[in-house]
Amino acid sequence: MTSAHTLPPRVTDEKRGRKLLGGIALPVGILALLIAGSVLSEQFLTARNLTNVLINMSIVGIIVVGMTFVFIVRGLADLSVPAMVAIGALLALGLQPALGSLPAAMFGVAAASCAGLINGLLIGYARLNPVITTLATGTIVLGVAQAAVGGVIVYGDSPGLQSFLTGRLLGVPVIVLIFLAVALGGHLLLSRTTFGRWVYATGANPDATKASAVPLRFTKGAAFWMTATLSGFSGVLLGLTLQTARPGVGTGYEFDAITAVVVGGVSLLGGFGNMPRALGGLLLVTLLSNIMVLNGIATESQGLVMGALIAAAVALDVYLRRRGGAS
Amino acid sequence: MEGITKAFPGVKALTDVDLTARAGEVHAIVGENGAGKSTLMKILAGVHTPDEGTITLDGEQVRFGSPLEAKQNGIGMVYQEINLVPDLSVAENIGLGNMPASGGMIRRKALHDRAREVLEELHTRIPPQELVGRLSVSQQQLVEIAKIYARQPRIVVLDEPTSSLSHHEAEALFAVVERMRNSGIAIIYISHRLREVLEISDRVTVLRDGRMIDCRSAQGLTPKEMISLMVGRDLDDVFPKQAVEIGEPVLEVRGLTRLGVFEDVSLTVRAGEIVGLAGLVGAGRTEVARAIFGLDRLDAGQILVGGEEIRVRSPRSAVRAGIAYVPEDRKRDGVALSLTVKDNIALPVLHRVSTLGWVLRRPERELAQQKAEDLHISPPVVDRPAATFSGGNQQKVVLAKWLATNPKVLILDEPTRGVDVGAKADIHTIIGELAAQGVAVLMISSELPEVLAVSDRVYVLHEGRLTAELSRDDADEESVMTAATGEGAAA
Amino acid sequence: MNALKKICESPAVLTLIHYRVVVILVVAVILSASLVPGLTEFRTLSLSLDRAATLGLVAVGLTVVLLLGKLDLSVGSILALSGIAAIGLQPQLGQLGAAAFGVCVGLLAGVLNGVLVVLMQINSLVATLASMIFLRAMCHFVTESNPISGADPLFGLAVSRSLGGTFSLRTFIFLIAIVLLFLWLTYTVAGRHVYAVGSNEDAATASGVRSGRYIFGAFVFSGLMAGTAGVMQSLATNTGSPVFGSTVTLTAIAAVVIGGTRLEGGRGSALGTLGGVLVLAAITTALEYESVPSYYQNIVTGSILLLLILLDRIASNSPRSALSLSSLLPVRSKEQSPAR
Repeated sequence: MTSAHTLPPRVTDEKRGRKLLGGIALPVGILALLIAGSVLSEQFLTARNLTNVLINMSIVGIIVVGMTFVFIVRGLADLSVPAMVAIGALLALGLQPALGSLPAAMFGVAAASCAGLINGLLIGYARLNPVITTLATGTIVLGVAQAAVGGVIVYGDSPGLQSFLTGRLLGVPVIVLIFLAVALGGHLLLSRTTFGRWVYATGANPDATKASAVPLRFTKGAAFWMTATLSGFSGVLLGLTLQTARPGVGTGYEFDAITAVVVGGVSLLGGFGNMPRALGGLLLVTLLSNIMVLNGIATESQGLVMGALIAAAVALDVYLRRRGGAS
Repeated sequence: MEGITKAFPGVKALTDVDLTARAGEVHAIVGENGAGKSTLMKILAGVHTPDEGTITLDGEQVRFGSPLEAKQNGIGMVYQEINLVPDLSVAENIGLGNMPASGGMIRRKALHDRAREVLEELHTRIPPQELVGRLSVSQQQLVEIAKIYARQPRIVVLDEPTSSLSHHEAEALFAVVERMRNSGIAIIYISHRLREVLEISDRVTVLRDGRMIDCRSAQGLTPKEMISLMVGRDLDDVFPKQAVEIGEPVLEVRGLTRLGVFEDVSLTVRAGEIVGLAGLVGAGRTEVARAIFGLDRLDAGQILVGGEEIRVRSPRSAVRAGIAYVPEDRKRDGVALSLTVKDNIALPVLHRVSTLGWVLRRPERELAQQKAEDLHISPPVVDRPAATFSGGNQQKVVLAKWLATNPKVLILDEPTRGVDVGAKADIHTIIGELAAQGVAVLMISSELPEVLAVSDRVYVLHEGRLTAELSRDDADEESVMTAATGEGAAA
Repeated sequence: MNALKKICESPAVLTLIHYRVVVILVVAVILSASLVPGLTEFRTLSLSLDRAATLGLVAVGLTVVLLLGKLDLSVGSILALSGIAAIGLQPQLGQLGAAAFGVCVGLLAGVLNGVLVVLMQINSLVATLASMIFLRAMCHFVTESNPISGADPLFGLAVSRSLGGTFSLRTFIFLIAIVLLFLWLTYTVAGRHVYAVGSNEDAATASGVRSGRYIFGAFVFSGLMAGTAGVMQSLATNTGSPVFGSTVTLTAIAAVVIGGTRLEGGRGSALGTLGGVLVLAAITTALEYESVPSYYQNIVTGSILLLLILLDRIASNSPRSALSLSSLLPVRSKEQSPAR
């Protein structure tokens, strides 16, 4: 019966309290977490801890920016993120002796970008299933990355870049500044450019979009290419900050990014959501994770909460659409 | 069925319709598009429930709450669209939902025997073990009928069963229908092919505008008589027609062919001219329009805009050449419902309100606002999602979107379907104004009076071929219907 | 692209694609036999089959899910969690009891997926993605991220030791499961209904087939098989680890797809899956013999999978994909008639 059900699009309608669920829930949730955090732990509301939260957010946040495009364009999800992060980190460190640190970093991003191009071609132009495709390309890229460095941990030898990245500019950690710049760029691209409009339209109604002379395949492919490139960039930053990288360095980043986007209320069914929402979701998830860590819950176990959050958020989205159809 | 009345919001689909189907007869229902044939059959099939009236089956009054109930009462429906499982065999499809089994294991022999028996009774030569996905469309249609026949129905409804069949294939289908009739099943046969109707049916019921016009024996009836019974719909609103200077040809189409869909279609639309493309549902009107706009592949033919040949590979190239297409299926190809009206209108013209990919919000808004006001979209609030507007206003949004591209050629496919009377008049006025501005308009509509009132010239399609080109003076309901039912050549 | 399409649509190529699993299997076996001396000896065969049994059990479960046009990404997490239960609860439940409980964990996880997909109508990819994260976290939570070991390493040996010089217990279970699945899919009403639902859910439902029940059942079955695989693996290694099975999802999907099951559902067979598992087993054996690092295997598996789904897409005339969101969104007018 599932295919017989027609789900209406999700629209923000001021009526019926839906706005409340969609728009206000997020800030309220964040506020509630801030209060809960400060009650539960004394360390929580310190500048030091909150700075940590911001830094933790930054690496994932760069990926979230890309993943938001994938979601809105109705591309489901990009599961090749860990591989792209890994290849970025491994190449940025592993190639330092040969190329110098900056070229090596650029090479890392370029490699992920090339792999992203393949994702884009396969998903946008050959119309393959995005989840299977990115799962497969991710496995391949990770294998290639491991083969390239011999499957071992690589260490960096360029403290210069590391200290720049971990340092501060005008009192703000540089890595946070980079994240904010990427986020702003992503936000403007999504909300203010032709391409951004194409992304929304493609996700909202692919048939009508194609009939409106929009390059549908390009738009979808580009979203995946962007996500891979940003993941590679994020990996480079991660590698340079840590100065070590192993092939498994990116594990879990895809879920963190997906969780943030979904919790932010960006619709997995396409066409709905925006960058501030996704980043709000990211902030909420990061705060939640921070509170759990401060209260002694290990990072690995937090997936219990995160998995439930994803299921709940998606179920809510499906529910809202069905309600939309009833009205 | 007696005194069946059914109203949908805004439309009265059926008014006091009677229909009697006798065992062992083929009863045909004919009528124009929208005459209420499908609604009547959907009531019989349990898809809709009637507002008034009764259904009596073998002297017993029944009421179907669901399609399943109707099916259990021996009513079998064969729709135009084939709904079989392509990856299962013919025998499995025939038995699906009711397979002979012992202890959960299929009794394969019994399944095949039963299928073979049914197929043989219907005198078809389809091997029961073949996968349905490998059969031709006509064979699939026969399997669909066999599947229903195997359940020993009392009434079988065939809705346009021959629309995608060749003449030869249709003959095979008639043989099957005859066999079913001879075994005492009541058959209700809906078709636009009038000769076919006369060939196989015993009685004919004519519907027009949701009313039963006549029910008479097929004996002695001629296609011409049927046509005159079918047409003559009342005009429920006035179509204003402006006198416009007609200019040079803008859209010329030569020998357009898409194999199996339409063939050798050539037409010309001049500046300022409104050309109607008439034909019955399934004649290929929408398909021709989609192909001109680059949404569907073409097998042969030329498209010229302003005398220059263009190659349309996608809507992008069509739009670049100045063609705009307001699609038939608004919800699918027209509006993106979750986007705002502004985003919908600006979508194909983003390049005009942006520099280097950066959207300039003020011109974008002004453009959308301007178009919304021009077309009387109400409320004229362009920031609300399209989904919150009524059907008529959504249609205006689609129109606004395409007018924003300043098209030279505007193709309208059922522009007033499912919109209320007010919006309809608005849309007609807009079309008239556009023509006055020199736009070449090609309009498809299933409402014959609309086509006749608005058009300067009418092309008529019948089964993928142009059968008539009528000037405004020559075109009336009868002449168009005659061509649309393929009687023109025969007469 | 058009020329490519024409070539791919020629009858010879279509037949080749149809029986691709045989072709691929022959190539893989010849290649690995030429690399590994004595591969054809029974002992080596039995050993490599034993290695592939875990993957095989997971693939058996996934076959049904894929036939229905759905996907289960959570099998890897289920595998790990069941294994942990089978080892970790030995003190409380006894060895057999814990093993049985482990299998039940898989079953319950499958029920969870069924609820998400069928009752809550969440797209199967997303639902199982969520449960994959959730269950993986559960593994870390109960083990505090450390592998756990059982008290008696000898108990589990029975699983991987060959019985009377033939195959190991888990190989037998795998082979029996394949045969049973084959018989079920081919000869029972329910089995044919699975194909019907996967091929055209609307038509199946209209014919009175309860599609939702089959989909629910498939997820439960998939969970059960992944649970069984997890228990077997953990008993054989006497370890329950929260990181077990992290790559098995992709490999199992690859095995099923190599076996000719279509991602969009409706076409495929249990014997094909057996072929797919054997292909991967042959490749693994060969690469391991050549001591090629395991990540090369991932490259090979991923590439084969991508190539096959790309071929499928080019060869198939209908772009209809049950896995895409189309199953959740407004239906694209009417389905094209299946012949075209």
